[in-house]
Amino acid sequence: MELSWVRAAGRGTAGLAAGAVTALAESIYVVAGTLALALPPARPGVYAGARALAELERRRLVRFFDAENGDDYTGGRALRYLGLRCVTGLLGAGVLLLIVYGAVSAIIMLGQIFSGGQVGGGSEPADWYDSITIFLFGLLLAFIAVQGLISVAKLDQVLANRFFGPSAQELLRRRVSELSITRAEVVEAVNDERRRIERDLHDGVQQRLVALGMLLGRARRAGDAERAAELVRQAHEESQQALRDLREVTWRVYPVALDDGGLHPALEAVAESAGVPVHLDFGLGERPSLAVETVAYFVVSEAVTNAMKHASATRVDVSVHRTGTMLSVRIIDDGRGGARPAGGLSGLARRVAAADGEFTVDSPVGGPTTITAELPCG
Amino acid sequence: MRVVLAEDSTLLREGLVRLLAEEGHEVLAAVGDGDALLSATAAHRPDVIVTDVRMPPTHTDEGLRAALEIRSRFPEVGVLVLSQYVEKRYATELITDDGGRVGYLLKDRVAQVGEFLDALDRVGAGGAAFDPEVVRRLLARTTHSDPLGKLTAREREVLDLMAQGHTNAGIAGQLYVSLSAVEKHVNSIFDKLALSHTSGYSRRVLAVLRYLGS
Repeated sequence: MELSWVRAAGRGTAGLAAGAVTALAESIYVVAGTLALALPPARPGVYAGARALAELERRRLVRFFDAENGDDYTGGRALRYLGLRCVTGLLGAGVLLLIVYGAVSAIIMLGQIFSGGQVGGGSEPADWYDSITIFLFGLLLAFIAVQGLISVAKLDQVLANRFFGPSAQELLRRRVSELSITRAEVVEAVNDERRRIERDLHDGVQQRLVALGMLLGRARRAGDAERAAELVRQAHEESQQALRDLREVTWRVYPVALDDGGLHPALEAVAESAGVPVHLDFGLGERPSLAVETVAYFVVSEAVTNAMKHASATRVDVSVHRTGTMLSVRIIDDGRGGARPAGGLSGLARRVAAADGEFTVDSPVGGPTTITAELPCG
Repeated sequence: MRVVLAEDSTLLREGLVRLLAEEGHEVLAAVGDGDALLSATAAHRPDVIVTDVRMPPTHTDEGLRAALEIRSRFPEVGVLVLSQYVEKRYATELITDDGGRVGYLLKDRVAQVGEFLDALDRVGAGGAAFDPEVVRRLLARTTHSDPLGKLTAREREVLDLMAQGHTNAGIAGQLYVSLSAVEKHVNSIFDKLALSHTSGYSRRVLAVLRYLGS
């Protein structure tokens, strides 16, 4: 860990030194080239040279700073870049020279201290604190110099980013890392859901069936017919309830209504079965893809469930609209707020991220809570 | 018997309370989580506690942990654990706990009211009660140098029932054979499994199961 940091610092310093050398050449080229631009026939040559120098810089940044940039830029852009780049390069050269100067001074002063001479070579006898003062002062200068180096390196990269933009490879790398993250999150979200289904089945349906079996068992053991009949009646009710529970669980696993009629009827069913008034404003003309519909459906159903269960909302507003190529889903409830995206909503956030969408939760304590999902739908 | 009950589902808890009351047991307390179970047990010192495994706050193994603690703090209290599914780890943990007064049933077994009450009686009487399903799983685990391979089919049946905590008389009743026939089978099983003869049926269950789980 430590070692890699030292290595990176060494590489960076070497890169800055190389940059300082190229900056000298570039500053001459920029001045000469800009003058030459006055002559139309010389222009292509000037631009080609500028591009060559800019490419050299690009390679230097990759070699020493692992900073990738695109190579699709014009000669004119290259020349403008060089104009600014040689300034930062010379700045780097200045900082490096200061460091060399400081190092040499430090060595000389150390020599003076060890040989018992005057630090700084003054003729006055040295005070006892002189060496301490000089040491601290040197430390301060060293710190400023290192900061200078870091800033120049940053400036270099900022300039390159500004003029060249990220390379295709860099864009690809970012996309891949983004995809691996969302993929992992999708797997996690699926596992979460399975866990939830397992809980729903065990803690809901199974308990009901056990209770049903108990009622029937008690009925069989009951001494008198009247009690037995009463227990059987209760068991009958219990079986109805178990069926209702089972229907609800399967519905939560996958709303079949989505396949049949699409998002609108499925969301209407959510609104109807919710325990609070849910106002649905549905403004989609044609149906988006089933994948997008499914994500949108789960965002709404989970958000409505949360609003009822955790926020004690008395009213929920759901709106689904399309703006351009984006499907936007918004759920507002008047509950007590304080919902955290990291909590129960993380599964939703993952689902939306997997569909390349944007998921936001705005839930100040005291409410209202607004949950928004923006989903690309081609 | 005097019973303390822990089950987080209100529905089942009410059902169990009624069932136990109808059968003449006295339910001293019916609670919904592990901590309440511990304090109720400390307060009432029941004959038996009946507890669910998954209870609030984490819905993992609260009931079981409470049960194991009760085992160590109040060894005279019988423990009957109701589990959603066969958890070998839990089962073995309870089984390797010497001294009987312990049971491990699948929750669904409660629906077989007779079997549940029977298991409760056995645990209350100082014996053991293990769910047939649990026993089957533990028996199925003996893949290494299968010692059960030496047993006849009849002996396996007897071992199965023995492991569930039934007495020789109970086994004889279940298999419709004479008591002496069962005793013969039992002795033969002990010989084949090289187990020392011990008295008291709970201990022999534990010994057999521990041997199988080793």
